[in-house]
Amino acid sequence: MVLKVFFPTCCTSAESGLLVGRWVPEQSSAVVLAVVHFPFIPIQVKELLARVQQAGRVGLAVLGTWCHCRLQEPEEGLGRFLEGLGAIFTHEPWLQLCRERGGSVWSCKALGWPMSPGAPSPAPVMLIFYDQRHVLLSQLHTPATLPDPQAGDAPPSVGGLAAVFDTVARSELLFRSDRFHEGPVQLSHWQSEGIEASILVELAKQASGPTCLMLSFLLSLLSAVGACRLFRLWPLPFICSKLSTCEQARHRLGHLTFLFSPRKAESPVQLMRKVNVFFSLLLDVALGLALLAWLRAENCIGQLADALVPVADCVAEELQHLLQWLMGAPAGLKMNRALDQVLGRFFLYHIHLWISYIHLMSPFVEGILWHVGLSACLGLTVALSLLSDIIALLTFHIYCFYVYGARLYCLKIHGLSSLWRLFRGKKWNVLRQRVDSCSYDLDQLFIGTLLFTILVFLLPTIALYYLVFTLLRLLVVAVQGSLHLLIDLINSLPLYSVGLRLCRPYRLAAGVKFRVLDHEAGKPLRLLMQINPLSYSRVVCTYRLPSCGCRPRLSWSALCRKLFFGELIYPWRQKAGKQD
Amino acid sequence: MCDQPVRNTNEVRWQKVLYKRQPFPDNYVDQRFLEELRKNIYARKYQYWAVVFESSVVIQQLCSVCVFVVIWWYMDEGLLAPLWLFGTGLASSLIGYILFDFIDGGKGRKKSGRTRWADLKSALVFITFTYGFSPVLKTLTESVSTDTIYAMSVFMLLGHLIFFDYGANAAIVSSTLSLNMAIFASVCLASRLPRSLHAFIMVTFAIQIFALWPMLQKKLKACTPRSYVGVTLLFAFSALGGLLSISGVGAVLFALLLVSVSFLCPFYLIRLQLFKENIHGPWDEAEIKEDLSRFLS
Repeated sequence: MVLKVFFPTCCTSAESGLLVGRWVPEQSSAVVLAVVHFPFIPIQVKELLARVQQAGRVGLAVLGTWCHCRLQEPEEGLGRFLEGLGAIFTHEPWLQLCRERGGSVWSCKALGWPMSPGAPSPAPVMLIFYDQRHVLLSQLHTPATLPDPQAGDAPPSVGGLAAVFDTVARSELLFRSDRFHEGPVQLSHWQSEGIEASILVELAKQASGPTCLMLSFLLSLLSAVGACRLFRLWPLPFICSKLSTCEQARHRLGHLTFLFSPRKAESPVQLMRKVNVFFSLLLDVALGLALLAWLRAENCIGQLADALVPVADCVAEELQHLLQWLMGAPAGLKMNRALDQVLGRFFLYHIHLWISYIHLMSPFVEGILWHVGLSACLGLTVALSLLSDIIALLTFHIYCFYVYGARLYCLKIHGLSSLWRLFRGKKWNVLRQRVDSCSYDLDQLFIGTLLFTILVFLLPTIALYYLVFTLLRLLVVAVQGSLHLLIDLINSLPLYSVGLRLCRPYRLAAGVKFRVLDHEAGKPLRLLMQINPLSYSRVVCTYRLPSCGCRPRLSWSALCRKLFFGELIYPWRQKAGKQD
Repeated sequence: MCDQPVRNTNEVRWQKVLYKRQPFPDNYVDQRFLEELRKNIYARKYQYWAVVFESSVVIQQLCSVCVFVVIWWYMDEGLLAPLWLFGTGLASSLIGYILFDFIDGGKGRKKSGRTRWADLKSALVFITFTYGFSPVLKTLTESVSTDTIYAMSVFMLLGHLIFFDYGANAAIVSSTLSLNMAIFASVCLASRLPRSLHAFIMVTFAIQIFALWPMLQKKLKACTPRSYVGVTLLFAFSALGGLLSISGVGAVLFALLLVSVSFLCPFYLIRLQLFKENIHGPWDEAEIKEDLSRFLS
């Protein structure tokens, strides 16, 4: 098996010394983390390794020696000294990595490899360079499916790659000390470029604990108020479940509670989620404030309030015209005149009621709108939810028409289907879920056929009313649905992750690719490991926040089926219906 | 020619079995094959007058439809007072009801276990529902054009005649569907009448002639065939007379139809029997003669 040596690129110019790292026997690979320079005291190196091992719970060891010859001629004495070190730090296999003649020639020997003693020739060694900073900071996303074998030269299995990433991430303590640190052991590894802002970061860290505690206390107080018995009385939960504003507010409250919970995030995914929630909230509130500022600056609310009542009047008038058209002979259809008149007058009366309700409301509209505008400082999504609710309330008459039409039509369709079975002398067998033949009595047949005839001749009238009001309803539902889509987008977009992918692509790794640096016969193969960034779609898929759950989950065919059979459609999901 | 050497070399007789290995090709049959051919073993010999008698069911049904249409025409023209029709219908129904029990001495009633209270209830349901719905029926097809209604009624009455249970054992027969189609046609036609009382009486008459009258006929035919022939003749002549009062051409055509159905068609049937050639033999599908129903239950 090929021995793989993972070597950090930042150590290529390091002085000669010892290789410190981890040996992964399952993958037969050695992950070099740092180089310990001369001079050192072996016992102190061992102490350092033990300390890191305890902190990161990762098995670190001295893997071998590192020899960097700047001169043309290799030093004989150094070579022998390095060989001797193998006796102090015992490790199987013992690596001897050498860089000669200005860095153009690399050699690597592995003593005691392969493990089986009878092997004739030394096994080939593969030298893989990796960027320590990138690997340390990046988070590996193991793909759901196996990677394409053609993608890389020789991709190690996902488990091996994960082991490398894990090793580097766990031995973070090793990288704490910087170049100017005067310790007993001099190390060469990746170092952060600067820590100027660290004071601010420290301050923020210190302050975040009490802030979180206080805020979470406030939030728990708020939710306790929300959970009190007064709000559990009958109509309130029902109304709340139907108003998208309440849903959105509850959703946001859950976000805040999650964000300010004093518990630490356990996994990087959870941490990412917290940051995503934070940024989503921030964006939401910023957009809301911008909206509020715009509304105030342009005095839009007054104009809106002035326009609202005439618009509602206009809609009602158009509906009246529509009903009068339906009560005539619309498009030359053969409608039943008596039923047509009855339905038309019923709906006209309904519109009359509606107009008087709107006129009763009109003095208060501006005040209501003003307060709605104020709610924008809670976030744009809350304002949009409120807007959606207001649309729902303002088009309540259309909803009523739709429900009446749909109920009538549903009754008619079901009656017709079962009477059609009776007409053919069949019946629906509930136990066997099929149509059976059945012998009916004479009076059953007579009444059934009489009703069937009546329903058949009344069907076009009812169907036309149903069709017209369903189209109106669908229009309203489409407007509300687009608003909800926008809200969901703001709610569930993982803004921080997407930004991270945009600015620091290596932070979210989907895998690695290898580039061949140097391949000569008799020399180890040298590869450069580069990080494949995660695709945007997977970033959004992985980190998208759970949405409010008030979207219709109907497929198009199910929707059409429901429309045909006259079942009610709602923009929100029917939770009560599911329980039934 | 081919099987001559086979028979000579080894004296093997061919057997009509598949479970033995025989020196013949699979599709081989010997000369005894056609000996088992038989012709027309299930063909029935018809008597002319018996067939004419059986055809009277069709005559009756044709006449029922004719009488219904004629009565509707009279009502539509205003020549027939609805109350008079109602009274006649009620009286004839009562007479029919008494006859129904009288013919077989109440045996059929005992067998079906139907009480008089149930009959009264059914009658009440008919009357009440028809009377209640008659205003609706009146305005039901106002906006639909008359031609559409006529076409629909013609189709429904034709369907009634096609699906009626004339006593044949066929898959197409469905007395439920036939009755429903007749009622549908009657409701369609009744909705064109001038007043809701007309509509009510028309639908009631439809029930009498399409639902109750065939039941009485069936019983008459089973118990007193002689009187049944008389009733059929009377009914046919009255239908013809009614049609004659509307249109002479229609009456002539209808008479031709009746004559051809009752006399020409039986004659033709018996003539065609001579050309019947049903062959039966060992190639027929296997037929299970034994009654298997005792194993199934």
